[in-house]
Amino acid sequence: MNKLLRTLIPFDIAKGLSITGKHFCKVFFTANRRKVPFHIVSEYPEVVAKIQPRFRGRLTLLKDEQGEIKCVCCLACEKICPTQVITIEKGKKEGRKMPFPVRYDFEMERCIFCEFCVESCGFDSIILNHQFELAAYNREDFSLGMEGAMQNMYDPSPVGKFSVADD
Amino acid sequence: MPTPTLTQFIVITLVQCLLVVIFVFVVVPLTVFAERKVLGYLQQRLGSTRVASGHVGVTGWMNRGMWKWGRIPVLSYWRGIPGLVADILKLILKEDVIPAKADKFVFFIAPALSMVSAVVVFAAVSFVPGVFFTFPAWFPLVGGLPVSGGIADINVGLLWILGVASVGVYGIVLAGWASNSKYPLLGGLRSAAQMVSYEVPLAISLLAPVVLTASLNFGEMSTRMAVGLPFWGLVPQILGFLIYLTCGFAETNRLPFDMPEAENELVAGFHTEYSGMKFGFFYLAEYINMTVVAALAAGFFLGGPWLLPFGLQGLLIPASVPFIGQPHAIFFAVKIIFMLFTYIWVRGTIPRYRYDQVMSVAWKYLIPMALANLLLAALVRCFAV
Amino acid sequence: MEHLLETIGRNMFAIFGVMTLCGAAFMVASRSAVHSVLGFLFAMLCIAGCFLSLEAEFLGMAQILVYAGGIVVLFLFVVMLVEMSKKREKEVFQLQSRYAVVAVLVGAAVFVGVFRKVIFGAASPEALVLRPELAQGLNVANQNAQAVSRSLFADFLLPFEILSVILLVALVGAVVLAKTERV
Repeated sequence: MNKLLRTLIPFDIAKGLSITGKHFCKVFFTANRRKVPFHIVSEYPEVVAKIQPRFRGRLTLLKDEQGEIKCVCCLACEKICPTQVITIEKGKKEGRKMPFPVRYDFEMERCIFCEFCVESCGFDSIILNHQFELAAYNREDFSLGMEGAMQNMYDPSPVGKFSVADD
Repeated sequence: MPTPTLTQFIVITLVQCLLVVIFVFVVVPLTVFAERKVLGYLQQRLGSTRVASGHVGVTGWMNRGMWKWGRIPVLSYWRGIPGLVADILKLILKEDVIPAKADKFVFFIAPALSMVSAVVVFAAVSFVPGVFFTFPAWFPLVGGLPVSGGIADINVGLLWILGVASVGVYGIVLAGWASNSKYPLLGGLRSAAQMVSYEVPLAISLLAPVVLTASLNFGEMSTRMAVGLPFWGLVPQILGFLIYLTCGFAETNRLPFDMPEAENELVAGFHTEYSGMKFGFFYLAEYINMTVVAALAAGFFLGGPWLLPFGLQGLLIPASVPFIGQPHAIFFAVKIIFMLFTYIWVRGTIPRYRYDQVMSVAWKYLIPMALANLLLAALVRCFAV
Repeated sequence: MEHLLETIGRNMFAIFGVMTLCGAAFMVASRSAVHSVLGFLFAMLCIAGCFLSLEAEFLGMAQILVYAGGIVVLFLFVVMLVEMSKKREKEVFQLQSRYAVVAVLVGAAVFVGVFRKVIFGAASPEALVLRPELAQGLNVANQNAQAVSRSLFADFLLPFEILSVILLVALVGAVVLAKTERV
């Protein structure tokens, strides 16, 4: 009897309708940009995208306080990399005890952004930054290294190049 | 008041048809747009807010413009309207592909059938009782003549509506068959079974207003349902409204009953092989059918051109109250729009039924409930009027 | 203009009649079964138009609702599932054409015999009303749904109910015949 009543009187449908109706009202009255929005979408090209802290973006070489590259060429990252996108050439530098990377090449077109290199690094000298707008038109643009204005690996994560935030 | 000659009568009827067509072709694209926005809002999204994804060129210019609209309170809801325009242009300009093994004649006639049967229903719908407006005296040929609120004031209007709406099944079934393809055929068969079985509770739930008002004329029925019912008339009205609404959803193939075009089972159902404006006709017909069902629900249950729904108008507001005591076409339009919103609301809430569930809902629950409702209406008519 | 429109209006019945015949002819002549159903549908809709032009709105609408909306859909439902190759289809139709001619001739003879008076006799000045007292207080031109219902539920109540019982028996019989042995 109870089951029959529940079938005949659509309480559950009313409940669902009330939930979606509440969402509709909240979004409808806050959809205007001046108010605090209730919707969960980010309007990315106009608004800077909000990146989660654990997002794995482009590989970046870090420098310490003196501006020295932290990498000591232990080759742990090169060894652990499953797609072998990192190539390091050891070298010496004046006034530095530790080895110094003469070349640190990163072929981003094959990178799977697994973060093994960062985990294996004993000196915290590389990270995956928060840059995600990585598309490019030429294959050469994906081979990053230590030289070149656009292609060096020191730059911190830039603001998205496609974002057109105006306020 | 002069009696119109036959020519004048035909001209007036054509003017009424034109008005109805304008109403339909304004409401339908706006419903398509509202569906995107409202469905988005229901799911905490924003709906369509941009065209293409461009940040350069024409689309980029439009997107930046629409982003600026977002600051203006009312215009912020209209971001994405260029997308609708682009969609309509696409439907008109797209190549019309006909499958090689399709039955050309039936393939051609199916969209026309569903479109015509959807539009023609409006002939019997009366938007406001009595005179809608009078032509000014300077108007050529028909100056000074009144235009009534419905096209054809026939005394069996309800039967006309039900009959023509049932002809709309052919469009879907024939489209499914003529495509000569498996998924459309399955969709067509499903829709034939579904629409034929849901017509039964739909007709029975509309019989309750017939019994209560002792008429089949749309205008008379909506008038008496709104202002001529005793208090106990509320019960069969509300029950009948719910049953009618469920069957209406099923008849127009809307979620949660969109068996004929269940996307994840049948690709796109009966219109898989259709493209271009033929598909556009099916698309339009679906939305016009929604408008028709909404108009019937508004006319019979929600009080039609009067303010209050469910016959409360006659109980609460006497006709002597200046504005809200009188019928207005604007109330009718607002109710239709609210019903269209309800369509989208339900679509955003309830998932699709399984096919056997659809059938069992119709035969095991809706028909007995509609019959019980008819009995209730008859009791009210016997003892309370 | 006015004259032309009035002539068209007066001859609406003839127009719809000719259209009905066209639909029926298409139904008989067409090779594809679904095309036949379409022709049948067209003929049914035109018959509804004939009723409308005679101001019998209720009958016209019942025609659309029952035949066009219900019965022809079931025809279509069956015909769509019957898949015949073109050759076999042709053979079946050619086999039937001889009998069809005979059937049409017999049907025409019976029709003329039954409706001889209606077709060739003088037009009756007043409509056929079985019990005039039932039509009291009804404007038959405007309320023919009420008129039909009064004659159906007062004059012919018993035949009407018996007919519906017969239909029910046919329905139950069909279910029994179609049901397989599983319980």
